[in-house]
Amino acid sequence: MLTEDYTDDQPRQRAKIMVVDDDPDLRQALSLRLRANHFDTINVCDGYSAIAMAQKEKPHLIILDLGLPAGDGFAVLKNLQQYPALAEIPVIVLTARDPEGNERRTLEAGATAFFQKPADNDELLGVIRACLQTGWGWTGAKPS
Amino acid sequence: MTVGPTKDCGSRCDSDCPGHFGAERRDSKEGLQANVLLIVDKPGDADLVRLRLVDSNFRVNCVTRLSDALLCLETEKPSLVLVDPNLVDSRGAETIRQIIRKAPTVPVVVLSGQDDDELAVKTMQQGVQDVLFKGTVTCKHMERSLRFAVERKGLMHALDETRKEQLAFKDQFLSHVSHELRTPLTCIYQYVTLLLDGLAGPLAPNQMEHLQAVLKSVNQLHAMIRDLLEATRADSGKLRVEPRCIDMRELVRQSLAMMRPAAAEAHVGLESKLDQYIPLVYADPDRALEVLINLIDNAIKFTPPDGLVTVRVAIVETDPSSVYLSVTDSGCGIPQATLPKVFERLYQNPNAVDGNRTGLGLGLYIAKEIVTLHGGRMWVASEPGSGSTFSFTLPLYSMAKLLQPVITQKGRLRENIVLMRVELSPLSKALRGSWKDVCQRCLDILRRCIYVDKDLVLPPMDADGGTQTFFVVASTDIEGANILMSRVREQIGGLPKFQASGLLSVTAEAIPSSRDAAKTIEQLVWEVADRVTDLIQQGFRSAPPHYDDHQ
Repeated sequence: MLTEDYTDDQPRQRAKIMVVDDDPDLRQALSLRLRANHFDTINVCDGYSAIAMAQKEKPHLIILDLGLPAGDGFAVLKNLQQYPALAEIPVIVLTARDPEGNERRTLEAGATAFFQKPADNDELLGVIRACLQTGWGWTGAKPS
Repeated sequence: MTVGPTKDCGSRCDSDCPGHFGAERRDSKEGLQANVLLIVDKPGDADLVRLRLVDSNFRVNCVTRLSDALLCLETEKPSLVLVDPNLVDSRGAETIRQIIRKAPTVPVVVLSGQDDDELAVKTMQQGVQDVLFKGTVTCKHMERSLRFAVERKGLMHALDETRKEQLAFKDQFLSHVSHELRTPLTCIYQYVTLLLDGLAGPLAPNQMEHLQAVLKSVNQLHAMIRDLLEATRADSGKLRVEPRCIDMRELVRQSLAMMRPAAAEAHVGLESKLDQYIPLVYADPDRALEVLINLIDNAIKFTPPDGLVTVRVAIVETDPSSVYLSVTDSGCGIPQATLPKVFERLYQNPNAVDGNRTGLGLGLYIAKEIVTLHGGRMWVASEPGSGSTFSFTLPLYSMAKLLQPVITQKGRLRENIVLMRVELSPLSKALRGSWKDVCQRCLDILRRCIYVDKDLVLPPMDADGGTQTFFVVASTDIEGANILMSRVREQIGGLPKFQASGLLSVTAEAIPSSRDAAKTIEQLVWEVADRVTDLIQQGFRSAPPHYDDHQ
């Protein structure tokens, strides 16, 4: 409901998703798809900026690659857990790495879901919507 | 890459290195010597050999029994073992077998009393480096033989290490490549789907068609990358299965639903024929589905339009502990001479209906590996001109077989048996991966809560993202069961990740068991197993709806 019923004249009420990936083309493609599905997006290219931007923008959900410059995905997950304000944000890991070993490790580090690239668009969007609706990090408050 | 006995030494060398002492001896006259462990039980022989060896500048440690020798090998590694295999506590081939098993990297030379060439060859085949005959061997000959033995063993060791390194490198390389290929593939997939979904503006029908062709190829490439990694895993024994208790009907239904679009596109009929009664199967649901999909996909590929693909599930009387699955096509069949090759890696059938898009030729190889890992078999039968049938077996779930070790003690049924039900319900649906992981961690915790010798966590039923129920059969009275239940509540309920996502319910019920002395222990176990099965099935019938959606 949150994600589909709002139109462009109510942009402040849309859920804000931060995409963290070091591949600019992929970032752009993901953002395009998310925006087409009525999400706001913030693009970030490395681990350090991910934390800085998360503190500044307080996204409702983060899509996180694992192989990143300036602090990989695991470091980002660990860092997020250290800030009470950020620890509750659902994180969907989207990586080319093998699920074996990595899936478990990321979920234990605080991620909400794990996808191996290339992830099916519908599946990914389904999980994003589920994350935003079940209170996993979604507080119902308007993004500031 | 260099291959040589001194390869591993470098700066780290210590006297353990088997390929070592030749070089050392050349370097320093008074320095380290080769240590020989001499195992001879006749004192006369021992002294004689020892003298010769010391003359040749070996350091000798002499023992007379195999048991002492094995102890020596445990504490320090000699450069070489020189052994007369006929000892007081062990004789012949057995002596050598035990020494080689204990110290596989140490070269062994046999000192034999019998000048018998045939016996010598047999001994060599056990993996020793040389066989010397007591009566004829000279001092010079022995020294040379021992030195060569050490050098040879060092070479073999180095070769073996290199082979292992290369295998590890191959695995690493393939895993790296398939990982790196995913990144650009993801980009292509993203942009193609963006265009196809009209997110970059409307497309003309022919543009749409071209992009569909691109997407199809992207999907094929994706499947190939997956196969590449799976085959690498199968090669290095890293393929894993996690068997659960599964309903084969449901799995077949799923596989048919997934393959129906492909069958329709190829104008091939797809049907299933299942026995009236199919017991539960003990297999990894994801893997079993993968095998079925693979076989159906192949069958569709090799069936001309208007053909038929049939999936059968049956129980065979002569093998009551397995379920038999088969996929039959009405394609061109496989020539008799080619049949044995179809499960080999990189085998590609030249007769695919879909032109030359056959994939990497790893699918059947992987499928067979998966079935083998389950303890099943896979084979193919074909009638050229009328089609092929690929069949495989999976083990049936046998409650009695599982329960036997925990509910019996010294050939008798245990006094008290309890069935505990641990039910985990997700607070909301979706979050598939995450809930599955939460359940897996609860299962790990549950397994740590029980006594392994008298309790058993039954293999979980496939829950497909909804309520997951675990059953524990515990050999305890109701008091013990209460303690166990509170431990489980505490441990699982205390898991933060679980608190955030699920509800826990723990119940237990005593299983009445017959004490009928006239019945065999097998019959008694069967009765308990039946009772447990009944209770579990009842539990499923009265289970609450799958989701407790609290929105």
